[in-house]
Amino acid sequence: MSDHCREALDKLYAYLDRELDDVSVDVIRLHLDDCPPCGRAYGFEERLLVAIRSGLREDVPEVVIERIRTAFRTEIR
Amino acid sequence: MADQADFEADAMQYAPQLYSAAMRMARNPSDAEDLVQETFLKAYRAYGSFAAGTNLKAWLYRILTNTYINKYRKDKRRPSESELGDVEDLYLYKRIGSEETADLSRSAEDRVLDGLVESDIKAAVESLPENFRVPVLLADLEGFAYKEIAEILDIPIGTVMSRLHRGRKALQASLAEFARGRGLLPDGEPEDE
Repeated sequence: MSDHCREALDKLYAYLDRELDDVSVDVIRLHLDDCPPCGRAYGFEERLLVAIRSGLREDVPEVVIERIRTAFRTEIR
Repeated sequence: MADQADFEADAMQYAPQLYSAAMRMARNPSDAEDLVQETFLKAYRAYGSFAAGTNLKAWLYRILTNTYINKYRKDKRRPSESELGDVEDLYLYKRIGSEETADLSRSAEDRVLDGLVESDIKAAVESLPENFRVPVLLADLEGFAYKEIAEILDIPIGTVMSRLHRGRKALQASLAEFARGRGLLPDGEPEDE
């Protein structure tokens, strides 16, 4: 693993969370294009985050939202 | 200053999202519903102090999070960071095992990502200690920026980043257990690079 790989790994979450400045993003993208192992790892982590987000999302029953709304209106009356 | 008369029109649209987060915090529907109701009442009463035009969603999450922590943590020992063992980076990915070609590797990854079901992901997140679970929820479920999470939780941004990093690694270790249980991962530990 090269220094570039190490740096890319250190910045993986900051990159996926869109917390990096443009210059750092470009540096990482250039590295990912050059380095298939890092490219694969990034690709996997990105897809995992998408899977986690959709797995965590709750199908909220409309009746629950209605109860919350009704309780709120009753309380503030 | 925000006008209390506008509160319902402004804030109630976030009820489904707040409920999703509350479910992962409180871990059961009835407590989650109570939590969201309490959040709306507190927010309504404090709405005069909310600066109109600023981040209403983050403000509501701040109230939700504080309500949760105050209500459900009282009698529990405050979980410490040391409760999370140190997990290596890319924990799950490294356990998938590399195949001979990029295509085969990709399909092994897909097997894991597709094979983990919603209940695995929910249970894995719910198994995290609270001070890791909440930042992970705020980032991974809600997509809040680090700075917003720092404001919601009233902790420094560096702490947000380290909890998020460690929380996500622990989450991967937990997901790997579920994946193993479903026969989605090869047996044994990965070889050293």
